[in-house]
Amino acid sequence: MRTAAKTVPRRAFMWPSARAVILGAAAILFVGICVLPTVYMFGVSFAGVDGSFSFYHYRQLLLDPRERDLLLNTALLGTGTAALATIIGAPLGLLLARADLPVKRFLRLALVVPLVIPPYILGLAWIYIGGSAGVLARVLGHDLLSHWTYSLTGAVITLSIGFYPLAMLATEAAARRVDAQLEEAGLMVTRPLRVLRRITLPLVAPSIASSALVIFVLALSEFGVPGLLRVPVFTTEVFTAFAALYDFGAATALAVPLLVVALIAGVAVKLLVGKRMITTRRSTHSGLALPLGGWRALTIGSVVVVLFLSVGLPLTVLAIEAGRVERIVFAIRTSSEAIANSIFLATIGATLIVALAVLLGYGQARARTRLRGLVDLVFIVVFAVPSTVVGIGLINLWNRPGLPGEVYKSTAIIVIAYLARFVPVGALILAASVRQMPVSSEESAEVAGAGWLRSFARIVLPQIPNGLAAAWVVAFILAFGELGATVLVTPPGESTLPVRIYTMIANTPSSEVAALALMQVGVIIIPLALLGVLARGTRLKW
Amino acid sequence: MGSCHQTDSIKSTSHIIDCLKRFAFALSIALILTSCSGTQRSFQTGDSPKEVTIYVSTDRVFSEPILRAYEQKTGVKLNAVYDTEETKSTGLANRLLAEKNNPQADVFWSNEPVRTLVLKKRGVLIPYQSAMAAGIPAVFKDPENYWTGFSARIRVIVYNTKLVKPEEAPKSVFDLADPKWRDQAALADPRFGTTSFHVAALYAELGDDRADEFFHRLKANGVKIVSANSVVLDAVARGEVKLGITDTDDVNVALAANKPVAMVLPDREGMGAPVMPNMLSLIAGAPHSEAGKKLIDYLLSPEVERMLALSEAVQIPLRPSVEGPKNIPPLSSFKPMTLDYGKAADRVEDVTRRLQSILGL
Repeated sequence: MRTAAKTVPRRAFMWPSARAVILGAAAILFVGICVLPTVYMFGVSFAGVDGSFSFYHYRQLLLDPRERDLLLNTALLGTGTAALATIIGAPLGLLLARADLPVKRFLRLALVVPLVIPPYILGLAWIYIGGSAGVLARVLGHDLLSHWTYSLTGAVITLSIGFYPLAMLATEAAARRVDAQLEEAGLMVTRPLRVLRRITLPLVAPSIASSALVIFVLALSEFGVPGLLRVPVFTTEVFTAFAALYDFGAATALAVPLLVVALIAGVAVKLLVGKRMITTRRSTHSGLALPLGGWRALTIGSVVVVLFLSVGLPLTVLAIEAGRVERIVFAIRTSSEAIANSIFLATIGATLIVALAVLLGYGQARARTRLRGLVDLVFIVVFAVPSTVVGIGLINLWNRPGLPGEVYKSTAIIVIAYLARFVPVGALILAASVRQMPVSSEESAEVAGAGWLRSFARIVLPQIPNGLAAAWVVAFILAFGELGATVLVTPPGESTLPVRIYTMIANTPSSEVAALALMQVGVIIIPLALLGVLARGTRLKW
Repeated sequence: MGSCHQTDSIKSTSHIIDCLKRFAFALSIALILTSCSGTQRSFQTGDSPKEVTIYVSTDRVFSEPILRAYEQKTGVKLNAVYDTEETKSTGLANRLLAEKNNPQADVFWSNEPVRTLVLKKRGVLIPYQSAMAAGIPAVFKDPENYWTGFSARIRVIVYNTKLVKPEEAPKSVFDLADPKWRDQAALADPRFGTTSFHVAALYAELGDDRADEFFHRLKANGVKIVSANSVVLDAVARGEVKLGITDTDDVNVALAANKPVAMVLPDREGMGAPVMPNMLSLIAGAPHSEAGKKLIDYLLSPEVERMLALSEAVQIPLRPSVEGPKNIPPLSSFKPMTLDYGKAADRVEDVTRRLQSILGL
């Protein structure tokens, strides 16, 4: 290398471009914050009983007959949730984009609410409804649902209710971006439904598939609901290895099948969607409209039913369980510091996540094709790493003398935990946004002599406001509700709201747990509604 | 064409600036909201000489007032990390293990014996013999001084008083395998928390064969395994099941809320009821070792045993001289299960694996 450097004439030395430096720095940050904790833990999993290199934990894994059931349950939970959430969410998204629904803005906001309710709380509501002494049994005087309550089916239903808004938002955003001229051309020769089937849906399908994949991975890595409903999956097994056996190596080894399932799903979606990614342009034409006509009553009825089952029922049941308003007021008063902490840290976390994710997403979307697929899979797999593994990995990496130790002792470590867990999902969302944007405008800027930074700030970012907003909101919601990793790294004397609620739940009567749960829902909805109001009137619709 | 592009670019530039302005506004609102709480919320760190860090697995509602009282009394800044085995958060024991090479905690206050003994085995703790431990019976102290027990809870049978008459209520944990209670008994996941201690103690007491047989019968009798002791209690109070096994403090909380439940101290005639003391330990390499020792001295004082007895936690004082809680009989009045805590804790891992296969967890 050195001799080569000597022989190269000085003039030929090229400073790396701004684009290479910035994207490279983003990639290094991503590896350092999101990938290293997991890599460290895998190092631990290859240490045998005596500390030397060994496949001991993996041999144990292959020998354990329980693994087959766990694998089946995990795959069913992921697939079932992705399918059901998409079946509910995608049609709603299409309706919001194209149908003449009344009070659309309100409907959209109301339908997004389940996404901000932490899945654990939805699970709690589900038990209050379907348990053998639950609301349903009391109303009917007969225990109908309780066999289903603590089951895989129950977990799939609960998680689908929590995640269908993702499918809905992705479908709506994609449908809005479909080039209206294509649809209008179709409408000149055939009926609207045929245009929908042959033009709109195929163009929207890649987005639906990507959101299904994100839902799949979210369901796969979710611990709260299967834990509560007693469905053994890999996340609960990883938890057992940590909590009952204190075996870091075995716990991390158990995460491997989980990551393999995520990888397989990622590859499957890639193969399915393949090269159908089509760039679309924002258009001033209105395109295909779906007048409801005779279907109006039925459609509105269905939307109302979804709203009732996913928002009205769980919140009402929690409110009944909480009983009195004073309980909620008391819960808020005693948790004000944790609430403020959570809003502050989740705001900073979401902002940093978007800042890093937009660079990574851009890099991914504009990378050479083969590399692009690989990076996508890396995002998916990193996102699927169980939160406890991330938490223990972070402690091992950051709790050491010097600067890392100072970070570890401060609340900054919580923000790092948010980044470690949620940058990949931000990058996936933003990569999808950038991909839908034609590369030609950037090329024109380059020809016109604009630097990369300038074209990134002036051309790329302005074209993806929806993507940026969606990524920020999703990151904020996920960060605000994060428990698995934060509970492990929260510095002494500090607390976030989920950590506080989780540590308060024990020995607390269910009425107070319900009050705390309602409070958490309220606390997260208010800042988001505020943002929604602020964004009103701009084109920032999502 | 050119002008059109220019207008487009100006439009989108002003649009993004607009978005950024709005975002900045929202951010500043969030910041104002946060600062409203009156506490400074920068990324704070700090090591001052007058501070001490404690990791606590005793439920926060009970431990926080005691720690606050210490803060007020001494002026020492006390940083606490709370946890609870009830909700199965993987928290403190794992955190202490992961932090072993650069410890952040000074004191570990555990609400049951298993975790402390795991940490002792893994070299996380260091011996400390507190002068305040004098009045505590020897059985509740580690001969090597790695831990000292104080205020205890008992594992009890809880039943729904609307569904079960007092004279019908079972007297022994073994009655739960009786077909009379088929599908009507609940138990928290025996891999975690105090239930893991209880089942390990049963294995230590009965021997593997008899204990295995009991759990096989329990499984055949349709025992419901739920996620935590508080869930056992909830299920009993709601009438989802007629009875279950849980801890004294859970029952007391339900009694205070006027739930239709009552408790039985199991096996008073036979092997005795399992007693679970809180345990205090000093962390090896603690950053504030001296302050930690002083905190341990305080927590071992009769005053704290009294506070825990009078609180909703209804913890039973280990010192005969301290008055106990009203609803719970004093230690001297019933037969406690004779236990070597170290031996029981050593069995936890093996018992966990056995029960995973027997109960199909």
